Amino acid sequence: MDAVTKRFGGLTAVSRFSLTVGAGEIVGLIGPNGAGKTTVFHLLSGFHPPTEGAIRFKGASIVGAKPHAICRRGLARTFQIVQPFVNLTTLENVMVGAFNRTDEVAAARARAVEVLDFVGLGARRDAPARELTLPDRKRLEMARGLATRPELLLLDEVMSGLNPTEIEEIIGLIRRIHAQGVSLLIIEHVMRAIMALSQRIVVLHHGEKIAEGRPEAVARDARVIEAYLGEDA
Amino acid sequence: MVAEVLGGVALGVLLIAPPFLPPYFLEILISVLLFAYLGSAWNILGGYAGQFSFGHAAYFGIGAYTSTLLFLRLGVSPWLGMVAGGCLAAAFGLGAGYLSFRYGLRGPYFSLVTLAFAEMLRVVAVNTKAVGSSLGLVIPSREAAPWSFIFGGKLPYYYVILAMALGAVWITRRLERSKLGYSLRAIRENEDAAEAAGVDALGMKLRAMALSSFLTALGGTFYAQYFAYIDPTITFGPAVSIQGLLQAIVGGAGTVLGPLVGSFVLTPISELSRAAIRGRAGVDVMVYGLVLILVISFLPNGLMGWVRRRRA
Repeated sequence: MDAVTKRFGGLTAVSRFSLTVGAGEIVGLIGPNGAGKTTVFHLLSGFHPPTEGAIRFKGASIVGAKPHAICRRGLARTFQIVQPFVNLTTLENVMVGAFNRTDEVAAARARAVEVLDFVGLGARRDAPARELTLPDRKRLEMARGLATRPELLLLDEVMSGLNPTEIEEIIGLIRRIHAQGVSLLIIEHVMRAIMALSQRIVVLHHGEKIAEGRPEAVARDARVIEAYLGEDA
Repeated sequence: MVAEVLGGVALGVLLIAPPFLPPYFLEILISVLLFAYLGSAWNILGGYAGQFSFGHAAYFGIGAYTSTLLFLRLGVSPWLGMVAGGCLAAAFGLGAGYLSFRYGLRGPYFSLVTLAFAEMLRVVAVNTKAVGSSLGLVIPSREAAPWSFIFGGKLPYYYVILAMALGAVWITRRLERSKLGYSLRAIRENEDAAEAAGVDALGMKLRAMALSSFLTALGGTFYAQYFAYIDPTITFGPAVSIQGLLQAIVGGAGTVLGPLVGSFVLTPISELSRAAIRGRAGVDVMVYGLVLILVISFLPNGLMGWVRRRRA
């Protein structure tokens, strides 16, 4: 995305923000609460049209495209607040994503089974999604996105609310997703995880990019430290 | 296994018993199946896609009027008129659906718009001389003529509506196990999440709308031929819309057999309470209303939802 601005009425949520994720890259997007991170995801996935600026995916503009059309092009997302189809089974949830690449029920089912085993939810296949625990719902959210066969997957705080062991498992899972050739853009508040995973980190504060670079460099950046400590103080 | 045997026995009874039933019971069964059919048609849009139409009378009326006018004015067989009415209703449904969904009308707003479309057609029918105004249209009684959808007794009508109801159940079952069925349920659960997972919500809802309105219109033609009389209030009035959705909701919206089960419970209660409490106008409606309140309070997912929970 290039110099993208999003205003809601008088509020500027994101201001002249530019971001590039290269093929095969893992990029972390961090910033204090209210910095505009989720708005960036909404812009990329077609839920909000940008007020100004250009958004391109694989060289073509995706401004104005509907979410399902963007998903079909290979850009999938998860939601910060998990949104399972609660009255469907875990398998059916993931099948909905798999139908993105096939019209056949059998093929969608096979793909969904494969993805559920991959994320470690194989045993919960026939459980209604409403019965899943939070960690399992996070996995389901990722599985549904993965089933669409994305080239770029946006993960919005898939570790929030999880304990250290569960976080370790999700870090491992994200590494395996990356190993399959999927590029990733990750929003996360769990600093240890984002530092370990990201090849590059972009810091957003009040809708503007204040830093970008390798994890260790960003962690030492004076403006970043001020932004975080300033919020807390 | 138990379910299959029960279903087989029920189907056998429905096929074999009617010739031996007294005419009054045959009439009730025809009503049961007609409402089951309308409920199934509504269920595709309302139950699976979660788009609560309050205006399916629009499609019912279009079906009834199209086939009847083609028959009375041009002598076209109502069997052909039925298909014409279905296509016209689907076209109208697509138009109304596009306008509603395109502008993001969800939930109660969608329901109100569908109600308004149906009422609009009712008012047009009342004020149009060419379609008989508020007096409606009569299909003159004459010799039985199967090609003209006119039969001597009630029995053939029974088998026609039985075939239609079973056909609707079969279509619903096919739908449930198709990409469209999965997509519709995802939309009902959470439209944004469905879009994010690659579901074309607008396209899928329009498909559900077209199928649902097409099937509803066929029911309208059946009604016209069976009662040989239609008027704007009967066909386009809110009562028809409510009847369809009640069967589905009481039986279990978004289940294959829900509308059928719902109608087998509700329609006899309605008919029998009317017969039993004659002379006290309105008491039967109160009894019917009481049953509805009880079902909706205690079985929020309908009878099929209750059966499913008992099994699990």
